[in-house]
Amino acid sequence: MLAHPIDFIFYILLTIVTYHLFVVMQNKLKLIWLNPMMMSLLVLIPILSLNDISYQRYYQDTQIFTQLLEPAIVALGFVLYQQLHTIKGHLKGIFIILSSGISLIMLINMMMTIWLLERYDIAVSVSLKSVTTPIGLALTEQLGGIAAITAVSIIIAGIVGAIWGLPLLKRFGINDPQAQGLAIGCASHALGTATVSKLSYEHGAYSSLALVVSAVITALISPLIIPFFS
Amino acid sequence: MNKASFLNHAYSALVITASLALGYGINAVFDFLPAALYGMLLLTFGLQAELVNPHKLQASVDWIIKHMGVCFVPAGVGIMEHEALIAEFGLVLTLLVILSTMTLLLVIGLLYQRQLNKQKALVDR
Repeated sequence: MLAHPIDFIFYILLTIVTYHLFVVMQNKLKLIWLNPMMMSLLVLIPILSLNDISYQRYYQDTQIFTQLLEPAIVALGFVLYQQLHTIKGHLKGIFIILSSGISLIMLINMMMTIWLLERYDIAVSVSLKSVTTPIGLALTEQLGGIAAITAVSIIIAGIVGAIWGLPLLKRFGINDPQAQGLAIGCASHALGTATVSKLSYEHGAYSSLALVVSAVITALISPLIIPFFS
Repeated sequence: MNKASFLNHAYSALVITASLALGYGINAVFDFLPAALYGMLLLTFGLQAELVNPHKLQASVDWIIKHMGVCFVPAGVGIMEHEALIAEFGLVLTLLVILSTMTLLLVIGLLYQRQLNKQKALVDR
């Protein structure tokens, strides 16, 4: 089928307007669960399904958003730079905490998924859910997971951190912006980072740092831990 | 938009594009991290080395952070492609991912908060 410029403009506008509507609503109503990203999915998926529009057709015209994510992630380097002086002294501790946390959760994920579903390939995908999408998908292929499940799990992990991350951390007395940023960047990758970066530069910096360091750690550790369960 | 802020945005676009392009270059040689993460580290390095002027970036970065959430939407809509997988494993899988994400959040948050509290106690003494 020919690519129609009107379709292109329509899908782009539909995406922006839907998202923006929920941004405005959330700013007005201050409800955490009104997360613009999740609410947009809940509105757009039924709209597409009811009108028999395939995902391929929608994505063909809107993949520019996914491509724009790359320069947006690069821009987070500025946030990281602004906090570099406070981060420097803590790097060793951060590295140790992220390595042990990620290894522990990876072990638990593998054991739980294999115990509940008895599927190694699904367990691989679930274990790689907290890392940024390109790395998650590369590791999934390397370790024998299912790409689609990894992709979906990564989105769910991102949404969980974006919606419940902050309230959950606060409930357990984790009130320092540095600790909150680090946790959300590690567990909920760029989606969580995009959400907490709006709160303060300190949140953004620690979240961006966790995003990068967790990606490195996961890439190094997962080939050691995951095949052990096959 | 006045001329000065337009020039700052143009400068930011140039710097970010250059960092990303270099990131792609590094990624082609060392396929370890995605190009965007290399680009992010390069921008941090460029600012630290005073190759890039941070004041000109500020407004653009604020704008990007405010709006970058929308970039996740089209990829997220992709969930609709996986009805079969979701029908078969959806509930258990979703619960597993939610619980393990929350556990990871808490483990990292608690460990780092504890470390910060220790450091503060040392400083206070």
